[in-house]
Amino acid sequence: MRPVYPRASSYPDFARLVDRDKAQVDRRVFVDKAIYQAELQQIFARAWLFLAHESQIPNPGDFLRTSMGEDDVIVVRQRDKTVKAFLNSCPHRGNRVCMVDAGTRARGFICNYHGWSFGIDGALRGTDGKVYETDETFEKAQIGLTPVAQIDSYKGLIFATFDPQAPSLEDFFGPFTWYLDIMLDNDEGGTEFVGGAIRSIIDCNWKFPAENFVGDILHAFWTHQSGAQAILGGAVDLGKRYDELAFQASVYGHGIESNLDKVGNTRTLGYPELVDYVFDLSEKARDRLGDIRARAIGAISSCTVFPNFSFLPGQNTFRVWHPRGPGKIELVAWTLVNKNAPEHIKELYRKGTMMTFSPGGVFEMDDGENWEYATRVNEGFVTRHQPLHYALGLGTEDAASEMPGHVHRGSLNDANQRLFYTRWAEFMKYDNWTDLQNGETAPPVRRAQAAE
Amino acid sequence: MMIELCDSGAIRDGEITRVTAPGFPAVAIARHNGALYVFPDRCPHADESLAEGWIEDGRVVCGVHFAEFELGSGEVHNRPVGCPNLSFFRCEDRDGKVFATLAVEA
Ligand code: FES
Ligand code: FES
Ligand SMILES: [Fe+2]
Repeated sequence: MRPVYPRASSYPDFARLVDRDKAQVDRRVFVDKAIYQAELQQIFARAWLFLAHESQIPNPGDFLRTSMGEDDVIVVRQRDKTVKAFLNSCPHRGNRVCMVDAGTRARGFICNYHGWSFGIDGALRGTDGKVYETDETFEKAQIGLTPVAQIDSYKGLIFATFDPQAPSLEDFFGPFTWYLDIMLDNDEGGTEFVGGAIRSIIDCNWKFPAENFVGDILHAFWTHQSGAQAILGGAVDLGKRYDELAFQASVYGHGIESNLDKVGNTRTLGYPELVDYVFDLSEKARDRLGDIRARAIGAISSCTVFPNFSFLPGQNTFRVWHPRGPGKIELVAWTLVNKNAPEHIKELYRKGTMMTFSPGGVFEMDDGENWEYATRVNEGFVTRHQPLHYALGLGTEDAASEMPGHVHRGSLNDANQRLFYTRWAEFMKYDNWTDLQNGETAPPVRRAQAAE
Repeated sequence: MMIELCDSGAIRDGEITRVTAPGFPAVAIARHNGALYVFPDRCPHADESLAEGWIEDGRVVCGVHFAEFELGSGEVHNRPVGCPNLSFFRCEDRDGKVFATLAVEA
């Protein structure tokens, strides 16, 4: 029984729902069932998707359960220290094999239906010898849990794809790693996730949170005004003096926006000690990262790795928006800290992210309700035919910037969101990675080379 | 009757080895803290091979449904429903060879 990795197709009609010229998006992308199924095929069965942080499964047999799109997946540390990931579904009658969210030092996984037993390497170890061993045609060596097509990690973050044709993880990021390093490589000891994962359900389309984190700081001034009042004692303020510095940058639909104000995000966690820690860290990180990225570590900023992995520098919340149908997501969130940070600093980050970006957190509650209504109103037949406006900052491209990717001036800008949906349209349209890696969202240098 | 199974030097501490003597079902031989143990290479739960399991804290662990059997007494722990204890064959190390009294099984 060989693994079957479904092939991509091409949906040019869906791709056209993103109108680059008018900077509009058709609302059917948020509710239409056929479009949602095409997303599972074109995006979630092909893109590299975030699975886990290395620190969550340090020892052989340590495992956790997650999703790639709607596919249930088990991620397990092997005896040789590599990590493998499999579909969490028995090849016999398909039952879910692993029922728990996470565990340590598993001996293997036994299916609850007929007792088939799989090793941590996914291979079928045995069934019921009384029955199967007496069946001469039964070939145990050929049977196992379906592995992902490729798995790899970048500075502690493990990703996988179901597409054997997908380019390497490094190529999938392209030069966006320059921005990822703001969080993943600002200190020599590397990073880890603290504590467990917080899960919640939001009745919204997965693209609303993804586009929010890719480049929507605009909403903070309205949505988060009262929460910010409560924690900071004042309104959300980007600070006039950062106007010149603030930017949005995008590569292959991955996007980050930052105000480069050093500690604006960290401040919202409400602990002055954390703010001091980040000021020091930023000073120290200048050697590793240079001035711009050192200023970004705790700044007012946000990031999405296409399609559905997001984080907030400074607040250190990392999360995946798992699609659960067109109108529902399962949100899983963790807190990232530097391994070398003092214990009490890690503890403050953990508490701080709980108070702000957990289901009961001040800011998360603000956001969730907006995304739910932004999704639900499109059930209205006439409503769903009205295009949405994504045209803020059309003339802000900073072609002379020395930073990688498509850089735009100012963080109050729809630029990254336009490129996020352009990437979405590329996935809908193209059935191959050559086109996918050389389209409009490709880094400008690469596009120039491809055009020659 | 004691049957000769293999060189005792071939059985390393902490490991389980599968051996077949002509005319008998396969047996598993284990060494733990120096002592030799010989038992059917067939888990009393659902007949899977015990030689493909491993030794942990003085117990044979079946790699299929993780039944654990105490070396020596054969008492079962982490017991799948209906799984009896494991029985061992009498065995000894004679001049560097493992001998055991094997029962002819049906
Ligand atoms: S469905 Fe898993 S053993 Fe039958
Ligand atoms: S076959 Fe050994 S425990 Fe089930
Ligand atoms: Fe928000």
